[in-house]
Amino acid sequence: MALKGLDIFKLTPKTNCKDCGNPTCMAFAMKVASGALSIEKCPHMSPEALATLSEATAPPMKSFQFGGFPLGGETVLSRHEKTFVSKPRYAVIVSDRMDEAKQDAILAGVPQVDYERINERMYVEYVAVNHCHEQTAAAYAALVGKAKALGRPMILGCTDVEAAKAAVEAAGDCEFILNGATPDNYEAMSAIAAASKALLGVRADSLEALHTVVEKLEAAGNKNLILDVGTSSIKDAYANAVQIRRAALKDGDRSFGYPSIVNVAALSGGDQRLEAALMSLFTCKYGSIILCSGMSYAKALPLYGLRQNIFTDPQKPMKVAPGIYPLNGADENSPCCLTVDFALTYFLVSGELERSKMPINLLITDASGMSVLTAWAAGKFSSSSVKKFMDEFDVENKIKSRVLIIPGKVAVMKGEIQDKLPGWNVVVGTTEAVQMVKFLRDEEWKKGIVEKPAATGSAETPEPKRTVIPAPPIVVKEVLVDDKPVSYKHRDPNSQQFVTIGERIHCISPSIRRAMETYDEGPILKRAAEQIAAGATYLDVNIGPAESNGPELMKWAVQLLQQNFNNVPLALDTVNKAAIEAGISVYNRTNGKPIVNSADAGSRIDNINLAAANDAIVIALCSADGIAKDNEERMMHCHNMLERGLALGMESTDLWFDPLFLVVKGMQDKQMDVLNAIKLFADEGLKSTGGLSNNSNGMPKQLRPIMDSAMVAMAMMQGLTSAIVNPCDLRLMETIKSCDVIKNHTLYADSYLEL
Amino acid sequence: MPFVKKPQVCSAAINELTLGTGDKATVLGGQNVFNLYAFDAPIANRPKIGIDVSDAPEQPCPGLEAFYAGAGTLAEKAARAAALEHVDFVCIRFDLADPNGANKSVADCVADAKAVADAVDKPIVVAGCKNAEKDAELFAKVSEALQGRNILVLSAKEENYKGIAAGAGLAYGQKVGAESAVDINLAKQLNVLITQMGLQGQNIAMNIGSAAAGYGFEYVASTLERVKAAALTQNDTTLQMPIITPVGVETWGVKESTAPVSDAPEWGDPEERGIDMEVETATACLAYGSDAVILRHPASIETVSQLLAALL
Repeated sequence: MALKGLDIFKLTPKTNCKDCGNPTCMAFAMKVASGALSIEKCPHMSPEALATLSEATAPPMKSFQFGGFPLGGETVLSRHEKTFVSKPRYAVIVSDRMDEAKQDAILAGVPQVDYERINERMYVEYVAVNHCHEQTAAAYAALVGKAKALGRPMILGCTDVEAAKAAVEAAGDCEFILNGATPDNYEAMSAIAAASKALLGVRADSLEALHTVVEKLEAAGNKNLILDVGTSSIKDAYANAVQIRRAALKDGDRSFGYPSIVNVAALSGGDQRLEAALMSLFTCKYGSIILCSGMSYAKALPLYGLRQNIFTDPQKPMKVAPGIYPLNGADENSPCCLTVDFALTYFLVSGELERSKMPINLLITDASGMSVLTAWAAGKFSSSSVKKFMDEFDVENKIKSRVLIIPGKVAVMKGEIQDKLPGWNVVVGTTEAVQMVKFLRDEEWKKGIVEKPAATGSAETPEPKRTVIPAPPIVVKEVLVDDKPVSYKHRDPNSQQFVTIGERIHCISPSIRRAMETYDEGPILKRAAEQIAAGATYLDVNIGPAESNGPELMKWAVQLLQQNFNNVPLALDTVNKAAIEAGISVYNRTNGKPIVNSADAGSRIDNINLAAANDAIVIALCSADGIAKDNEERMMHCHNMLERGLALGMESTDLWFDPLFLVVKGMQDKQMDVLNAIKLFADEGLKSTGGLSNNSNGMPKQLRPIMDSAMVAMAMMQGLTSAIVNPCDLRLMETIKSCDVIKNHTLYADSYLEL
Repeated sequence: MPFVKKPQVCSAAINELTLGTGDKATVLGGQNVFNLYAFDAPIANRPKIGIDVSDAPEQPCPGLEAFYAGAGTLAEKAARAAALEHVDFVCIRFDLADPNGANKSVADCVADAKAVADAVDKPIVVAGCKNAEKDAELFAKVSEALQGRNILVLSAKEENYKGIAAGAGLAYGQKVGAESAVDINLAKQLNVLITQMGLQGQNIAMNIGSAAAGYGFEYVASTLERVKAAALTQNDTTLQMPIITPVGVETWGVKESTAPVSDAPEWGDPEERGIDMEVETATACLAYGSDAVILRHPASIETVSQLLAALL
């Protein structure tokens, strides 16, 4: 049984007395939750707390495995609240009431619907075998034996104890659910199910009666149950399905915290279309196993698609499968157009390409579901990832054309891709998908092709390596903002004041990207000066992945900024580890340690080692792959990274935890989770930071400062110690200064905003 | 502890929106519980079913062709559709008006609409050709021609809401549909903008977007659920408009409904596939929050109305 760490934490004394051997009560609670420690290790838990613990920490709905699929275990009534976890499963009913020919026809029909849709096998997972009182136990057992031959787990619908015994025997080693406990027979049925370790289906004439039987079964020690919503009417079955689930999840009624079973064949009375409607209805709300009279492709195609949709995790980025997508009748001679696997990007790009009506092969690479620029900045869309994709999908051999159009937004990758794919003509496409129509129709891409000496297949001369521009000497010059020279004021690295990390030197900005490419100090110094003048504590320096010249570029940027601005402290921001190390090697610590931006609990956890080895601060993103689904997960990642840092000799205050701020437009209902996570960090004495302005992404420009200011005030109340922000946002900076006064981190004076 | 039912009745309710006039008028919305939750409180008005009739020829489908056999004009088709027992309103769709297609003139569309109004006494919903500019003009002119019939124009979008709210709603007292693409924030914003023009929220219906089952339907489901939750549990008056969802126009276009038997022999009869796709998608829309669905096939209408009757 999975215990919830945060629930356990609430019951601890919260004194951080360390008597259990853990630094904090939270750390202790997390270990108890993971099963690493027993709750008794805490000598200060009150008996009442211990008593409520088992009740309070039990999941609201039981989860079982049946036939290799999970049943139940849901925690929310609507998918958007978190996600649904256990898809409904479908079963076709065969009954001993039917004549043998009909039974055989039904059983033969079960395997007929079996296909794949987006990496998922769609078929009838279970078979239901029902018993009617007119038939003998032996006849029922014979039918069970026959159905067993299908090799699918069975749902034995039978309320007669003797018939059930015979059926269980006939089922043998085939997994089954015994669906037939009633208020009259539940003791005997429970004994039969328990003896075979099978789930027991329970039914009664009313919800009240059903609840009573379940309570009796639970009292007798059977909690391996599944609740039949009944077949008296469509209205009642639906009412029961909804009310059972609602009682379990909303009202915490554990006796209704079980998966459900719905017989839509009985409810529809043989009307196939009505049955299809009911299968859809109970797939939405809230069938766990749905029994039907038969599965046809007509029913199945929408049904399985619906199920796949509804059970998609709303917090996972929508991705399309990497691969070669020929559009508009493209063949091996058509040019290739490359982009990332983010679903929205794919739909947008493929839509525009289709509109061009020009045959083209769309190549989708694995970029962890990020958009083009985000993936590029995060190192998920790089010349290496492109090369890997080309090899993995054997594009060289599958496609004869040697034209590869890359997104205009990552024109900077052209050289690097060209180096890695010497046989190809890498052409820079348009920056927006909509422009691709003209780009293709007018064959503008042909202008990008560089004529090469005829490749004859034999060992030709290797392509000349692209020359990397060497970094120029550092220029020190006066930079003016509002006609005043800008200099960074000395800062006490131990100050309690809120730390703002200026985000404006970021290669996603086209002007900075160009400046980085050409070592043009002008735009970089300008943005640095503006941010410092506006009161930034740290400056973030994002150089992009800089695959070919990372170390050199980062060294140059660090020295450029520190020499021009009185050793302004910096956050070094790139996926290129060598670049970060090179940057730190020339970094001056007068005004604060360098910050490594960033590590996470997944593939970038090594950046904690990098920070530890270089005595740097590290921003530790509390996610592994994608957004953490709740604070349980955020805190688990937090403690993983904290433990790693401490083991490497870091101070806990050198790990700045990032809860990952989420966008209000789209994830409005998750904002309080993020704020609560900050409180959890602060309660443990941990520092925190994050890209705060992400919350207002997509809002009209004039609203963003307002929303960001509200967010920062609430977050500072929760204990946020730093944020990655745009310091040129005056309202935001004034809010931060005001909050610092209220938090007593800085002494008030009438001119506090000017300081 | 014995189980005690806890009906979830909200203090807020969905607006009641009346379409049409006289004894054939139909009322959308009104309930103060989540869709189809008749066990929580009596449902004020059951969800309504509209039939989709296009001015373009039907796609190849023997059942539909047979149903409309002999009906040549839009008015004849609409009259036949309206005569179906479980149809609450008729949605006439001017597909041919698309400037990138047949570019049928607004005058011709208005003439068609008038003929429909003469032939049909059930409430009329007018859908355009999805070209924002043409629709704005079309809706204004049809609204003028059908003044007094209390029609719903489907629908105003971010690009053309001003012209439609003014030209159909304010000028001729018709009901206006507000269409957004499966995004609750946009749905709310559009309602706010339209009401700011002076059109009462009571005169607006929402089309928050639709998709066939399997085609990103999770966005439709979550948007429907979240709109209903905001309207009922947070008393958000900007989202209390009833939701009308065109289902058929989505479901009859996907490959599950269109692929001929020769392409997918094991899938069986395309018409059966199309009906189930329409029925299952409509059911899901109704389960998550639609107050009305617009369907194409008489068999789908029969089944969905059967389901609603059984549930409510």
